[in-house]
Amino acid sequence: MNKERSLQLNKPKFGGKWTKSDVQVFLMSSVGLLFLIVFSYLPMFGIVLAFKDGDLQLNILNAILRSDWVGLDNFKAFFVDPNFYSVLWNTLGLNILMLLITFPITLIFALLMCEVRHRRYRNALQTVVAFPHFISWTIFAGMFIAMADMSTGILNPILEALGIMDAKNPSNLLEARYFWSEIIICSVIKDTGWSCIIYVAAIGNIDPCLYEAAKLDGANRVQVALKITLPMISSTITVFLLLAISRLLSNSFEQFYAFQNITNLDKSEVIATYVYKMGISNRRYSYTSALGLFNSVVAIVLLAGSNFVSKKLTGRGIL
Amino acid sequence: MRGKIVGKRRKPLQAAEFVIYLFMGLFALVTIYPFWYTVVGSFSDGMDYQGGGVWLFPRIFTTANYSVVFADARLWTAFGTTILRTLAGTFLSLVVTSCTAYGMSRPNLKFRRVLQWLNMFTMFFSGGLIPYVLIINMLGLYNSFWVYVIPSAYSVYNMIIIQNFFKGIPTELHEAAVLDGASEFRIWWNLFIPLSGSVLATVALWCAVGHWNNYMQTMLYTNNPKLITLQYYLMLLIKEANVEFGELGDNITSQVTARTVSFAAIVVASLPILCVYPFVLKHFAGSVMIGSLK
Repeated sequence: MNKERSLQLNKPKFGGKWTKSDVQVFLMSSVGLLFLIVFSYLPMFGIVLAFKDGDLQLNILNAILRSDWVGLDNFKAFFVDPNFYSVLWNTLGLNILMLLITFPITLIFALLMCEVRHRRYRNALQTVVAFPHFISWTIFAGMFIAMADMSTGILNPILEALGIMDAKNPSNLLEARYFWSEIIICSVIKDTGWSCIIYVAAIGNIDPCLYEAAKLDGANRVQVALKITLPMISSTITVFLLLAISRLLSNSFEQFYAFQNITNLDKSEVIATYVYKMGISNRRYSYTSALGLFNSVVAIVLLAGSNFVSKKLTGRGIL
Repeated sequence: MRGKIVGKRRKPLQAAEFVIYLFMGLFALVTIYPFWYTVVGSFSDGMDYQGGGVWLFPRIFTTANYSVVFADARLWTAFGTTILRTLAGTFLSLVVTSCTAYGMSRPNLKFRRVLQWLNMFTMFFSGGLIPYVLIINMLGLYNSFWVYVIPSAYSVYNMIIIQNFFKGIPTELHEAAVLDGASEFRIWWNLFIPLSGSVLATVALWCAVGHWNNYMQTMLYTNNPKLITLQYYLMLLIKEANVEFGELGDNITSQVTARTVSFAAIVVASLPILCVYPFVLKHFAGSVMIGSLK
C-alpha cells in the first residue's frame, strides 16, 4: 500500500504528501533523534571552547560565553606541554601494542575454539571465558591488584616458581614499569573470550562443503585454517580491525582509572583519564576541549585513512 | 558448529587436538581463577590472609567479612541506587531505542538518508567530555537520579540491531494490522515488540550490564552520597584497601582487613551479574550475528 503511494510521488517538496502513517513513522524515528540532538549535537557547539580562553572560568557556561577567542592557542598549549607527550605516548604506544597483541590472540583463540569438537566441553569453555566481559573494570582491577600484591598475592609466587622472578629480590608488580604488561594481560583475560564469539559465529556460517572438499584434497588442520577459514571470515576481520584502528587514541576511562594509582601515573595516564583530570578536577575547560577535538578528528582521520587503504588493498571497507 | 560436519560419531582425540583442548582449558582456568581467588579471600580470616599464601581454600574460614559488608549502610544505598537505575535505564532504553528502530525500519520513512546519516555521524564524532558535562548541568541533571537514566537512553548501535530484526518481520503481518486499522504506534507496541523477544532481551541485557558496571557517571555528575552507585562504592573500597581503612573503621574486628572486606563486597556486587549471565548466554550467540551482519 505504502509502496504504491511512494511510486506516485514525483519528488516534490518534503517528499510530497504525507500520509498519516508517514507522519507516525517519522515521529517515531525522531524520538532517538531528539536524544541525539540534545546529548550529541548540542555538545558539539561546545567545541567553540577549544578556540577560546576558557580555562579556570567559574563554570563551563561562563567559559563558553564570557571568554575571549584565542584561535589555535589551546592546541599549541598541549603540543608544547611535555606532560602531553608522555600522555600521548601512553595512549598511542600502549594502544598500538595492545592491538598488535589482542587482535591476533582473539583470532587464534576463535580458530582454536572451532577446533574443539566436543560440544559440551566447548559450551563450557565459551561460558567460562566470556564471563569476565560482563564484570566491571572496578572489580577486575580490584581482583588483579590483590593478586599482584607482593606479600599476599599469588602472582609473585607463580613467577618465582616459573623462575621468571628472583625469589630473594622480588619486585612489586604494581610498579609503573609493569603497568603496560599488566593492562594488556588483563585486557586479554577479560575480553578475548567475548570478542572471539563474533569470529566463532562467522566461522560457523562458512559453507561446510568447503571443508569437505579440503578434506578430500588431503589438507591438514593448519592448511584448512589458513586457506579456508581465514579468507572466508576476512570481511568480519576487516570491519573489526578498522574499528580498532579508529580507536587508537581512545581508551576506556573506566578501565584505566580503575588501575591507576599515584605511583604508576607515569605509565598509566592516557588521554581519556587526562581529559577528566585536567577538565573536571583542574577546570582547564578550553585546554581539554581542544584535546577532545584533536582526539575526535584523529579518530575520524584514522578511520577514513584505514578504510581507504583497506579498500585499495582488499576492496572492502566499512564506510 | 564444525562438530556437526565432522559427524555424529565421536572420534578419538588426536595429539594436536589434545594440545588444543588442554590449552583452551588452561585459558579458561586463568580467566576463572581471579574470581575463585576473590571468593576464597572473602571467606578468609583477615589477619590470616595478611600472612600470604591463601590461594586455593581459606585457611581459617570466616563469614566476618560479609557481616562487615552487610552492616555497611553505604553498600545498601549504592545497591538500591544501582538496581533502580538499571531497571529504569534499561526500560527507557528499550522503549526509546525500539521505537526509533521501528520508525527507521519502515520502508515509507521520509528523509531516510538524512536520518541515517545523522545517526551514524554520532558514532564517529563527539563534542567531547566538557561540553557534554555542560549540557548535563544545564538540563538540571547534575545530582539527579535521572542523570543515570536519560542521557544513555538512546544508542545508535542498539537501534541498528533492533532495526535489522524488525526488517526481518514479514511485511504481511504489518499489512494485516494496517487493514485492521491499527496505527503505526500500535503496530510497534502490540505486534512488533511481542515478536522481537529475543533481540529485545539481548539488548536489554547489554543495557543492564552497562548500567550495573558504570561508575564514571557517578564521578562526573554527582556529589550526593545517596546517588553513589555500586561500582563507585567498590572502587572507593578497593582503593582504600590499598592504603588504609576508610569509614569502615568502626566495624573493624581482628577478623577482617580492608582487603578481605573488599573481596566480600566484590562477591556481593558480582552476584546479580552471575544470576543474569545464563540468560545472556542463551541469547548472545545469535544476537552477535545480527550485530555483525549490519
